Amino acid sequence: MKELSVNSVKRFATALCALLASTALYAEFDAGFYAPQKAGSLRQTLPHVAGSGASYEVGAYPLYPVNLAPGDGQSEVASYCNTCHSPRYITAQPPLPADVWAAEVNKMVKTYGASIPEDSTLKIIQYLQSHYTPETRKK
Amino acid sequence: MTNSERDLSRRRFLRTLGASGSAVALAGILASLDASAQEPSIRRGLPDFAGPSANPYWNSVGPFITEPQKAPLILMADRPVQLETPRHYFLSPFTPNEAFYVRWHLETLPNSVDLKEWRLHVEGNVGNSLTLSLPDLLTRFKPVSVAAVNQCSGNSRSFLQPRVPGGQWGNGAMGNALWTGAKLREILDAAKLKTGSVQVQFEGLDRGKGPEGYGSNRFMKSLDLNDPILEECIVAYSMNGEPLPMLNGFPVRLVVPGNFATYWVKCLSWIRVLDKPDDNFWMKTAYRIPDTPGGTTTPEDVKAGKIKTIPIAKMPVRSFLISPDGTAKIPAGLPMQLRGIAFSGYGRVKKVEVSTDKGASWLDARLGEDLGTYSFRTWELPWTPKRPGKYELAVRATDEKGHTQPDQPVWNPGGYLWNRIERQEITVGSAG
Repeated sequence: MKELSVNSVKRFATALCALLASTALYAEFDAGFYAPQKAGSLRQTLPHVAGSGASYEVGAYPLYPVNLAPGDGQSEVASYCNTCHSPRYITAQPPLPADVWAAEVNKMVKTYGASIPEDSTLKIIQYLQSHYTPETRKK
Repeated sequence: MTNSERDLSRRRFLRTLGASGSAVALAGILASLDASAQEPSIRRGLPDFAGPSANPYWNSVGPFITEPQKAPLILMADRPVQLETPRHYFLSPFTPNEAFYVRWHLETLPNSVDLKEWRLHVEGNVGNSLTLSLPDLLTRFKPVSVAAVNQCSGNSRSFLQPRVPGGQWGNGAMGNALWTGAKLREILDAAKLKTGSVQVQFEGLDRGKGPEGYGSNRFMKSLDLNDPILEECIVAYSMNGEPLPMLNGFPVRLVVPGNFATYWVKCLSWIRVLDKPDDNFWMKTAYRIPDTPGGTTTPEDVKAGKIKTIPIAKMPVRSFLISPDGTAKIPAGLPMQLRGIAFSGYGRVKKVEVSTDKGASWLDARLGEDLGTYSFRTWELPWTPKRPGKYELAVRATDEKGHTQPDQPVWNPGGYLWNRIERQEITVGSAG
């Protein structure tokens, strides 16, 4: 019984020392924390193997698709707007007021000559106003 | 339990052990230690967009991506390609080609160029039309070099209030390179300009999907023949001693030192001498600034139709603090260097001043090597923050024409010409 008690005191002392040692370490710095992240979304580019002729090529430019907000008008945006530029031109904008979106779409039709039927133009404007204004854009 | 939760629970485990270990005093020590130390935060990505307030970051918020011949850059758009250069690349006066920002207007941009077929055509109101191959450019004209900043007209657009539509650039739509090529003047002389010539127009290989006659179909820019900058323009086949990356305009691009990049036509393939001013969309309608001091106006004046516009041209003076960048705390009492760059399209940078007290007082920074009138000029200033706390660092440059950066924001509907004094908040911690 006595021996056991000595052992238990020894064990307690050892644990105390270990704790003091570890807490002393923590008092100087934190260590050993890792957080999971997704790798592989950004791959290294393959070295380009080229012939010795006079043609200089870099291959295809990568497309990085975006998720447009689901809703009425999304398919019109995905088809008409996508003719001249990827939909990232929309999602990369800050939330813009409804009248600014209307002006942007009308500029595409009138100034840039985008061939979009009138009802689709209205649908695109309504779609952008429903999802990409300061009031409607979701984080 | 996810891995991060398990990791983050380690400190909590220690505390529980202390409390249940019947050593009350030890538990007290552990608790006090626990309170003084903070859980490490997990680094999270930037949001997908910033706004409707001003973008609070130095760069734009896009993700890193890779493109041919490029280091990971910040994605603004994938088609047509627009990429921004991350802040730390501006610690050196020359921006590496693989990090140089990219901005195209039209989506059908070259993936390859066959130099057996490619020619630079010089035509229009000339007595001697030219069809120049790359070897012609290399051998028939004397090579000249110039260090010059190429900055997108819309650089820093994301800082305007109210926000304006367009590429939401942070500060990284700029770069400085040593450009080498043939002098535009020599090429024009070889083509023998006819009398009555007023402008010279430039067009590259890029084309758009819009209908003919619209800006969405072709991109063309023109300079006045009496613009003195013409004497300094180069048809550049070399960038920092290397061929131009395809995305920066291989095989040749126009270099217009001091002017915004809209004139620096990439994959330059047509030089046309005009006998009347260019009225194409990219001159008449786009890239125009209010004819007001500093090119600034208000949404109200624009709506009221009060604003006369002129084509954008020279870059106003700017300066940037590159390091420290505010992403880490700095210990008080530690001597360090504040470092950055400055430039102006109007002439040499003569002075860079730094304030560490919210603009109450300004100290002259030491300027780095003078690499030419139109180059980035590096600057540095030793600084030892004395006390812990938040510091607001500000930097302003003055060019040889006497222009100093304003402390007022710029606003115009195109989102051009931003050159307000830059500020960076820095947190200084106690050194113990």
